[in-house]
Amino acid sequence: MSALFWVPAVVLIASALWTITASKPVYSVVALLVNFTALAVFFLTLSAEFLAMIQLIVYSGAILVLFLFVIALLSSGVAPLSLGPNRLPRIALPAAICIAVALGLVVAGAAATHVLPVPAPAALRSAGPAGAANVFGSVQDFGRALFTTYLLPFEVTALILMVAVIGVIVLAGEETPYVATRRRAAETRKAMREAIAREGD
Amino acid sequence: MAAHLLPVPLGDYVGLSAVMFFIGAAGVIVRRNPLVMLMSIELMFNAANLLFVSYARAWLNDAGHVFAFLVITVAAAEAAIALAIVVITFRASDRVDVDDVRTLHG
Amino acid sequence: MILTALLLPLCGAALCWAFGPWLRRAAGWLATAMVAASFALVVATRGGHEALFTWMPGFRFGLSLDPLSLLWALVITGVGCAIHLYSIGYMDGDRGFARFFAYMNFFIFAMLLLVLSDNWVGLLVGWGLVGLASYFLIGFWFERRTAVAAARKAFVINVVGDVGMMFAIFLLVANVHSIRYADAFAAAPTLGPNLLYWICAGLFLAAAAKSAQVPLHTWLPDAMEGPTPVSALIHAATMVTAGVYLVARCAPLWDQSASAQMLVGTIGALTAIAGAILGAAQWDIKRILAYSTMSQIGYMIMGVGVGAYAGGIAHFFTHAFFKAQLFLASGIVIHALNNEQDVRLMGGLRKRMPLAFWATLTGVLAICGVPGFSGFFSKDAVIAGTLLHGHPYMYAIGILTAGITAYYMFRLLFITFFGEYRGNVDPAALGITREPAESGPPHEPEGTHKHHAPSWIMGLPVALLMVPTVVAGWLLFSSNGGPSPWDRFFASQFPTHVLASSPVPDWVTSAITFAVVLIGFGTAAWRYATREAQKNAVARLREESLRMPALLLHGYYVDALIDIVFVRGARLLGSVFGRIVDPYLIDGAVRETAISAQALGSGVRLLQSGLVRAYAFVIAVGVGCFLVYYFVTGMPH
Repeated sequence: MSALFWVPAVVLIASALWTITASKPVYSVVALLVNFTALAVFFLTLSAEFLAMIQLIVYSGAILVLFLFVIALLSSGVAPLSLGPNRLPRIALPAAICIAVALGLVVAGAAATHVLPVPAPAALRSAGPAGAANVFGSVQDFGRALFTTYLLPFEVTALILMVAVIGVIVLAGEETPYVATRRRAAETRKAMREAIAREGD
Repeated sequence: MAAHLLPVPLGDYVGLSAVMFFIGAAGVIVRRNPLVMLMSIELMFNAANLLFVSYARAWLNDAGHVFAFLVITVAAAEAAIALAIVVITFRASDRVDVDDVRTLHG
Repeated sequence: MILTALLLPLCGAALCWAFGPWLRRAAGWLATAMVAASFALVVATRGGHEALFTWMPGFRFGLSLDPLSLLWALVITGVGCAIHLYSIGYMDGDRGFARFFAYMNFFIFAMLLLVLSDNWVGLLVGWGLVGLASYFLIGFWFERRTAVAAARKAFVINVVGDVGMMFAIFLLVANVHSIRYADAFAAAPTLGPNLLYWICAGLFLAAAAKSAQVPLHTWLPDAMEGPTPVSALIHAATMVTAGVYLVARCAPLWDQSASAQMLVGTIGALTAIAGAILGAAQWDIKRILAYSTMSQIGYMIMGVGVGAYAGGIAHFFTHAFFKAQLFLASGIVIHALNNEQDVRLMGGLRKRMPLAFWATLTGVLAICGVPGFSGFFSKDAVIAGTLLHGHPYMYAIGILTAGITAYYMFRLLFITFFGEYRGNVDPAALGITREPAESGPPHEPEGTHKHHAPSWIMGLPVALLMVPTVVAGWLLFSSNGGPSPWDRFFASQFPTHVLASSPVPDWVTSAITFAVVLIGFGTAAWRYATREAQKNAVARLREESLRMPALLLHGYYVDALIDIVFVRGARLLGSVFGRIVDPYLIDGAVRETAISAQALGSGVRLLQSGLVRAYAFVIAVGVGCFLVYYFVTGMPH
């Protein structure tokens, strides 16, 4: 059965690495798609059927498409990735060391952790109320948990989504006089200086 | 359903999640393209989700699933907002580089 | 009933204030009617107590009309009514006619509140409000700088007294847990001598400031900048005697503290003689009367201070009539002479203004204590009372002051009403050396007077007041040797003060006093009333003016002393703080805080590179540190 773990695991790591090293953002999106799919496989093997579906529909179907739209909107192909020394920031090496140390510690810690007793498959069925066909991780089970015990967090989530929608409309809805990039700031300053000089005359 | 078996020790899932998380972290730090940085953040979210689901399975507790669901929702909201900011920030720029956005430096 | 009597003048004030421009002369009649109605209500009520409301435990408010309050309320509304009537004539044509009556009615309200309240809080409120009304009325002609300065001075000195009163009330309420007089008086014997002394001292500070006692008297002469009816009502008859009321009201407190009584009696005696001496050295007719008022209040304070309460308040009662009358008569003179107040420029007015002359003469006879006139009974009651309560030196001062009083009052009468009219004489020939700034500017804005003869409106109150000026004292006369009607009336108020036997019989005291008064009269007559003196009046007045001791002209330099000690002291303190403490200690601390915050900020801002990825790196380092820590110490469970 370990193939069900190791094959998606390799795909997961490889696609993640590809995501952060791809020379063009579009490639990153493709790599991320692979990554999410592999993760969905993991969710399936961990009895989270509903989450596996959500992973595919929301992440792969909605969020990644959003990324693609933005990439198309910005024509961002003009900013290719280059890992040459001049492009790599000075913090890259210490960051790599730091991350490597942290990663090593976590992996070493994970290996040393006492492995929890794995419940027998029979336990998956006995978790629910008597008489109900209650299988752990099933859509039924998840839905009951979401709409009874965790109803309040669920409602709050709805609120968060609404706030996000309003925020997006406010931010991108109309032409904002927002000056962010250095070049545009410099242009604005120059225009203001000229305007002041004209006023002086 | 064979898929309902937990085929490998929990520690392996934790390690896998950690590797994926730190790959995402490295992406945020190293890349200058805001879109790739955002995708790296998504990687980190997913690493966390993997951990949630693994422990939910190990302890047979629904809370992990619900949390993973909430994380997905928040990630969607975050992506929408962040992408909107990226769009308005770099709308008129021919270069997409977060290091250009330094208006808030001290 | 009591509440209505109290609120009527307030309504009048509000109406005059709000509708003054429409009411015109009717404002004066309205205000007078309000005071008259209040008087009628007080007469009809005559006594009783009205509970108003309870604010919180121990804070029960009410109005009471006991003999003491009744006496004051009658004088306030009665004399107040007469003076209101007089003011309709005196203030005729003034631009602030309605405003004047609004203030006057407001004063009547405040003064009634002061005397009718049955608790300390009402007393304090009334006490402050009469000070405010006095401020308004002294500064009534606010175009004149001297008037505004005098008003401010009066207000500030009165506030000094208010602080003393608040201090005393705090002590009382903290120890008695009630604001009512009755509770405080019942608890007085249990308060202990030390605490009681400080309460009495605080109360007397208020009384001294309000009643112009040494050394807080300097505002009273200056307060004559106000219109003459104001001087008559507020600064002679009623408000300045609030101190006497306070001491008499708190008799149960004073009775428990001999040292406090000593303080009050001494200050009163000092004020009596100091005011009388200053009164003999003045040339301004209103200032003479002002110092006279101060001196007479000294008598009252001395009387109530030593424990002769009935005598002290009797002197208040008679003084209210004769001093109001003297002021109103002087107002007629000032009015007729186009606002001239210097007696050197008067003279021979006896025939031109018979009413003023007769009114002044009656007042002078009364204040000097000529037998049969009201002052005779009340003043002798005070003087006899000092000896009765064992203060022979106050007795001596009282008799001496009576002589000086006779001197300066007859001096006023002779210079003003006898001899030849000197209004056309060059002021320099009379030794009048006043700088333009000091010369009293017209007491009314110029050109506001159309008539120079007192109309019946001004004459009637003066004529009416002549009656009590003569007869008011008769209440103190007992035909059969027993207690007089006056003593019987106040027997319930001051039960412990039924007169014991005096070491000197009353008729001896009266005889000595009258002899001294005759000496004073004789001196004044010899200096101003002989045929020769009247012939050479101009030269003599000039000589006296030039020889007047500077000490008396400057009122013992009390103002200068106050200026040096308090004003300059405060300025010195202020400059020390302004030059050293503020710039270096306070500003320095603020500046140093700002500088160090700035330095810290300029160091920390280097960390704010604005590079998002650098921030992310720092977070990653932090996460790494945590992981190392937990890996070394073990995960918490």
